[in-house]
Amino acid sequence: MLQEIRQVLRLVVLMSKQGRRHGSGSTGGLLILLWDEEAGAQRLNCTVAAAGSWCSGVEIKALQLDLKGRMFPHVSPSLEPDPEDLIPFTELHGSLRLLLSFQMKDARHWPSDWQSDVEAVLQAFSLANAGIQIHLKLKFAQKTSVRDFRAKIKAKVSRADQPPLLLDVSCPEQKRWFLSKPHGWAKRASWCQGGHPVDGGRLPLGIPPQAMDGGLLGDLSVRLVTLLHPCVLQYPNMPTELKSIKVLVYNPCNIPVSGPSGFFQTLPSSMDCQHLGLRGLQCPAHKDPEFRVGTVFTTEQWENEKKCDDEEQESSHLPVQQSLLLFLLLQHRNPFCSHLSDFVAADMLIEHHLEEILCNNKPAVMAAIRTEIGNAMKAQNQRKKQQEKLNSAAEVILSSTMSIVSCSSNVDFRNACFDLMKVADTHALSSHLGESLRRVMSWRFLPVGRCYSTQMEENLLHHGSTKSEI
Amino acid sequence: MLGKQISCAMESGSTQFFFLIDKLRIQLLNSIESATEKDYFQEEISPFDSGVGLQMSSGHSVTTVKSNCLASVTKFAQILKILSVIYRLVQSNSYATKRDVYYNNTQLFGSQRSVDTIVDDISCMLKVSRRALHVMATSKGLIAGDLCYLEEDGTRIDCRSSSAAVSVSSNVSGIRNIVSSAKFVMIVEKDATFQRLLNDNFCRKLSPCIMITGKGVPDVNSRLMVKKLWDTLQIPIFALVDADPHGFEIMCIYKYGSVAMSFEAHSLTVPSVMWLGLLPSDLQRLMVPKHSLLPLTRRDENKLNSLLKRPYFASQPQWQKEMELMQQSKVKAEIQSLADIAPDFLSSIYLPNKLRYGGWL
Repeated sequence: MLQEIRQVLRLVVLMSKQGRRHGSGSTGGLLILLWDEEAGAQRLNCTVAAAGSWCSGVEIKALQLDLKGRMFPHVSPSLEPDPEDLIPFTELHGSLRLLLSFQMKDARHWPSDWQSDVEAVLQAFSLANAGIQIHLKLKFAQKTSVRDFRAKIKAKVSRADQPPLLLDVSCPEQKRWFLSKPHGWAKRASWCQGGHPVDGGRLPLGIPPQAMDGGLLGDLSVRLVTLLHPCVLQYPNMPTELKSIKVLVYNPCNIPVSGPSGFFQTLPSSMDCQHLGLRGLQCPAHKDPEFRVGTVFTTEQWENEKKCDDEEQESSHLPVQQSLLLFLLLQHRNPFCSHLSDFVAADMLIEHHLEEILCNNKPAVMAAIRTEIGNAMKAQNQRKKQQEKLNSAAEVILSSTMSIVSCSSNVDFRNACFDLMKVADTHALSSHLGESLRRVMSWRFLPVGRCYSTQMEENLLHHGSTKSEI
Repeated sequence: MLGKQISCAMESGSTQFFFLIDKLRIQLLNSIESATEKDYFQEEISPFDSGVGLQMSSGHSVTTVKSNCLASVTKFAQILKILSVIYRLVQSNSYATKRDVYYNNTQLFGSQRSVDTIVDDISCMLKVSRRALHVMATSKGLIAGDLCYLEEDGTRIDCRSSSAAVSVSSNVSGIRNIVSSAKFVMIVEKDATFQRLLNDNFCRKLSPCIMITGKGVPDVNSRLMVKKLWDTLQIPIFALVDADPHGFEIMCIYKYGSVAMSFEAHSLTVPSVMWLGLLPSDLQRLMVPKHSLLPLTRRDENKLNSLLKRPYFASQPQWQKEMELMQQSKVKAEIQSLADIAPDFLSSIYLPNKLRYGGWL
């Protein structure tokens, strides 16, 4: 089922690329409707609809002929979805450029969490094609569910020698842990809601003999782009720790491909983790929803940490856990490819031989990945050094202040100090002052022009008065 | 007028000379008092007061040091550390030098300069003298001549030895029982010149007098000592500096103070200091050999231009004339250049004539 959806996406993307007029846009909508004709039916139908400038080059008749010819034996033009399901889509994105319906294989043989698999693929597709709003509607077993995939924040990554890439850089909800428990030392602190992609450039790849024998020719390369979430650029003193690295591989149509698991299994051993400043990498065995597409590596430190419910511990003492998204975007150029079928074949060959391609270029690919991870780690290591300097100074500040207060024989002065910090004695003063000082240091806020900031709700903390005194 | 009288008195005998010096002293006192009265209570506080020198204007010297900024957090910690050291010193009524404070935690402070700067900043912030912080500077100045006094701990200091100078006290404010019959004090810019004069028995030749040097840019204790001598003895204070912008600036520090210590101007400046030499006009008058003269460097010229813009010259037109002469001639000279005229020219001819015939500005 995923394969069919990928096939349709591939064709739509390739057709739109081919037929795209110069200057046409890359925005629009894609509707994937999965529905059953009658209750209890074992077969699901799939309708794919597209509208907007991104598919302006698509010719529906040509698409149907191709599909009918080789890919979708179950394509049935007589299958028509409920027009009511299409109305909201056309209202939003305009008239349809594509409407294609086909029947899926027997749903009884699908994995139980197939729905999550579909969502994960579409989510990953949306990441690298942020201009397209994807609507997934499931209508079966008398239940309807709708899921939209749209980029709240987009960033264009462009280079002179590269096609422009529009990425969804919005910080995922599950990564914005700090928003649910704002410490908000800065009353008007704002958080960057997005990320800042870093283009690692293009790496030429050699085509392995097996792929060549299969007919894959031309120039093959991979473009690496990294994205770190959440962004803490506006908090220069905030310590960070890389929790996970997720590698997403895209075929030349910018469609996420699964695997190659064999190649990426060797990644931890190929990384000089100590040199990078990483505390080891490992590939978890469990399959959380986040991990369905792409390969995810977690750092050993994250694996060992238990979730802490203690609010005391969740204070600024913990570094911000960041995740690195590494896009590997395959690119292919063959001057002898002219027909749509040539492009489709080449694309499918690349997917089929992906493992061999990457293995054939292992040293270069690993070196490139190492470089990108290293660049991401540089910022973290720099923050660590800064944190050491701040902590060292904080110790001196704390000991000097306590020395004065402890040695003072002036009762009024001592009481004033206790009252200001809302403590009863010097012991409590010391711990409270230390904690406050570390919070003030860690949560220093400096607005950064390129961050996607929204104002936090004003946070009137019970600690607010303490902060101003420090 | 008085200068001519003094020169005539030198011919008739030394008694008359010193009588006239005393008269000059009284004149100076009167002029300072009137200048102080006129300038000190001005409605508008200006940075320069001819009666005091360079003063700190309130509201213009605020610096913010943040504890959460990486660039300043170390300084923040250093300041608090020094504050805690000072607190302990004041509590225990003990004293420490700035060097002692530095060695308290060399890793934190990094350099002696950091400690020095922060101690001055704290002094300025709390609006107290450094002495009140119980942190003393190690003195680098030397003093010699007709002077005896008691240190705070009771040690008797006699500066009358002809062969060796005495280090300026590190606790000038604690000095008491000053005894001196000196008729004037001469501030010498450089240690080399000071030693030369000491070797030439200058203090005996033109006795009674006091010589003091800060060995270049004077430290606070040397300045305090000059101020103390002026406050106690009320005798003329002359400055003997090189005929170059740097020497002139050093003289101005004694007379008008420095920007860095402007918050303590009242306790450090002696506006009555007079410029004895080496004047730029002396170079022409004495026909100092050309090979002894040095061309002004670019840096000298820039400094000279900067000095000419300072507010000092409004009350010192003759000084301005001398600086303009230096600017036009584009040459400078050290005091040592007088040795090219004759080996003992400085102590045997130049200085005695200058003092006898009123050759000061």
